[in-house]
Amino acid sequence: MAVILLLEPDTILGRTYQATLTKSGHKVSWFRSAGAAISSVDEQLPQLVIVELQLSTHNGVEFLYEFRRYQDLAAIPILVLTNVPPLFKAFSVGIWEQLGVVAYHYKPLTKLTDLTRSVDRILAPVT
Amino acid sequence: MTNRRQHFADERLLQLLAEQIKLPLLQIARQAELARTTENPLELLNTIEDTADSSLKLLDSYLLSLRLARAHASIQLEPVSVAAVLNETAAGLSHLAKQYDCKLELHLSGRYEPIMAHRAGLEAALNSLGYVFIEAQSAAARDGRAVIKLAAHRGKTGIVAGMFANMDGLSADMFKRARHLFGQAHQPLTQLTAGSGAGVFVADSLLASMSARLRVAHHQKLSGLAATFATSSQLNLI
Repeated sequence: MAVILLLEPDTILGRTYQATLTKSGHKVSWFRSAGAAISSVDEQLPQLVIVELQLSTHNGVEFLYEFRRYQDLAAIPILVLTNVPPLFKAFSVGIWEQLGVVAYHYKPLTKLTDLTRSVDRILAPVT
Repeated sequence: MTNRRQHFADERLLQLLAEQIKLPLLQIARQAELARTTENPLELLNTIEDTADSSLKLLDSYLLSLRLARAHASIQLEPVSVAAVLNETAAGLSHLAKQYDCKLELHLSGRYEPIMAHRAGLEAALNSLGYVFIEAQSAAARDGRAVIKLAAHRGKTGIVAGMFANMDGLSADMFKRARHLFGQAHQPLTQLTAGSGAGVFVADSLLASMSARLRVAHHQKLSGLAATFATSSQLNLI
């Protein structure tokens, strides 16, 4: 079992992703805002962060920069699960690597089975 | 509005709506996938039904906005009971609000004479606003349930009717910027919602057809989006 931090602003999707990953045996802490997600890591360090880039107020990229400011969070892998199409990715591959993004999934093309497969692959060495 | 400007506005609204409608389709697809592996999928099926119903309403509101925009000069405004429209809108949004764990409240400060409006257009506008407010407030709720008020009060020039909530980022400047970004940005209402906020612009278009402008307004201590309607002078005389 791994602890996963899920940053998903939509209630229905958040509930769905949380239920799916919980069924796969993970403990999922789900937050709808970047601020709440950042505050949560003081209480429990996640082994994986899943983040939507399209948030209100602070976007997901701002969240990632803030997240990476803390040394104890530096090694935690990030999975982007977003409505922003890959073509719209504003940064070069290097920036995503620097931010620790190990997988980028476009939501409309990512089935729940794709998500769980990707999560299991990322967590494989540590579980 | 010239034909070219109208065409451009239609295109921008359609683009935002397409972005917006991706969300409920995604919710339906993923919940259906989850339902296949769930022992008792009744709750998921209910959510799928509510999601589809509210998306259909948003699409219908958009289509009505197109029809009213085309017929702008010939729209017949009629005396409409604001209380009845707010009541019906609240009832129509109640399922969606439940799915998003939002509390929807109706607040009418007093009794009002009928307002001059296009009834179906007003209901569609409030419904479209509700769609955005429910989604946005649910994401912003910090402690407990988000509360959204469908409300009306008497303003200086008529009856103000709209939707209100505890929204820190909503201001006249922010809404002005959003109007400016309409059609240019992927997300013109970032201070309000993570989605495209198409419902706000559908409501804006519907209300403009009734010569009522959507604007940032306040009700008690809440901020929101509302329009002011003239009261029916004919019935005032009775």
